[in-house]
Amino acid sequence: MADGARADTRTTPPPPLLRVTGIVKRFGGFTALDGIDLTVRAGEIVGLIGPNGSGKTTLINVVSGLLSANAGEISLDGRSLTGLPAHRRSAAGIGRTFQIPKPFASLSVRQNLEVAARDGVDIDAVLADVELDRHAARPVSDLNSVSQKLLDLARALVTRPTLLLVDELACGLNPVELARVAERLRALAAAGIGLVVVEHLMSFIDSITDRVVVMNAGREIFGGRLRDAVQDRDVVEVFLGAPEPVAA
Amino acid sequence: MLLYALLTGLIFGLYFALVGLGMNLVFGVMRIVNLAHGDMLMLGAFTAFWLMRVAAVSPVITVIGTFVLFFVIGLPVYYALVPRLQRSREPEMLSLILFFGLSQVIEAIVSLLFGNNERSIPSRTLGGGPVSIFDQTIPFPWIYAACVSVVIFAGVYLYLYHTGFGRQTRAIMAQREEAVTIGIDVHRVSAVAFGLGTALAAVAGVFAPFMLGSFTPSIGVPIDLVSFAVVVIGSLGNPVGTILGGAIYGVCLMLMRTYFSTLADLLPNLVLIGVLLVRPTGLLGRTVRHA
Repeated sequence: MADGARADTRTTPPPPLLRVTGIVKRFGGFTALDGIDLTVRAGEIVGLIGPNGSGKTTLINVVSGLLSANAGEISLDGRSLTGLPAHRRSAAGIGRTFQIPKPFASLSVRQNLEVAARDGVDIDAVLADVELDRHAARPVSDLNSVSQKLLDLARALVTRPTLLLVDELACGLNPVELARVAERLRALAAAGIGLVVVEHLMSFIDSITDRVVVMNAGREIFGGRLRDAVQDRDVVEVFLGAPEPVAA
Repeated sequence: MLLYALLTGLIFGLYFALVGLGMNLVFGVMRIVNLAHGDMLMLGAFTAFWLMRVAAVSPVITVIGTFVLFFVIGLPVYYALVPRLQRSREPEMLSLILFFGLSQVIEAIVSLLFGNNERSIPSRTLGGGPVSIFDQTIPFPWIYAACVSVVIFAGVYLYLYHTGFGRQTRAIMAQREEAVTIGIDVHRVSAVAFGLGTALAAVAGVFAPFMLGSFTPSIGVPIDLVSFAVVVIGSLGNPVGTILGGAIYGVCLMLMRTYFSTLADLLPNLVLIGVLLVRPTGLLGRTVRHA
């Protein structure tokens, strides 16, 4: 019996950390998400790609609780999050960054983390990790846009997320900064955090993700490795357009 | 004359800052304009009238009791109105209509129950005689109100800048969506801010009979106009700016009362228009740089 149980453990893959099932989000007559499914395992980095307006950020907003879905289920680590407000999803383990970071302007860099930090988090270590430690006492308005993005990431990390939703963090970073951020995200995954990374920069996505989900018009049109996605006819058509019919 | 006008202007400015502080706090946290603010002040004046004049309760107990009572009243008012309002498409605009309606309801009920007579509280209720400052004789209740205002500013400052809850309040004031996603319970923090705003209005109301001479159930709307001018001059959404706005409003008002009494209300409102034209974010409004 005991051996059988061990055998089951060996053969059954761990349950997904995040399970999103049949999410529908409508804005009036416009359907932004049309029955999206998504799973992310602990320690996995999933890239979410697609053209502008395909629903990537809307999906992140729905998962993090900023938007409520019209239909569908969301669970984290087996616990249903459907209907939970955003602050309780954060407490449950969902952290996120924003496409355009908006730090708390009246607070210093360090206070931006203090207000978010869970008990026992070493704020100085997190600040050092994103190389903002020497700016800790400064007002956030002194930071440039790249530093504000890193602060946004740090602010999400001090909430001790088990799932991190990263929305276009790489935009505007130079190659050195990109490499550092990629390394940081891989380290988070290695520590067991599941990541969903929305990004337009394909080389960055390729360097960090285990698999990608390609979205178009609120639907998933591809799920798998990026190298396979670029061979997929639907994906190519969405990004490059349909080929012109050849004249006879 | 000039010294008296400046001195009393600053004293009234501190009081006006107290009048506007709650409205500004509520706007800063919730992005709604509470046009029932003046009616909360009016209810605070009635509370003071009953406690101090009728029941002979001490001024200090009256101030503390009014603060606590209206803080508690503000919490259910918040949960009954504001979350529903914020789910609407135009919460800022709708808040004007909703709270103006609430203001009218409060005024009508108070008028029906207690009549429209002017009420006042004798100055001696607060104790003390006229105070001489720089050879200028100032009524003691004005000094009392200004001192209480300063104590309350200090308390609000300590709350906002030196407590975890206050830091959460400032985070929501800065970026509501981001605050939610880091786990801040926006409704809990906002309810406290609304309760605080209501309590501050009511405490300002305790001193309204002394600063304004008398009060009626219909003082709510003119008080709203004063509050709005004070917070806009300082900076809408910035409670610290309210003190500056109050001081400017108070000095302008007293200068006009001293030299052009028939036009007393003109200069403060001209200053308001001037500030809106030159610096629409208010004198302490910050220019936000987005990434």
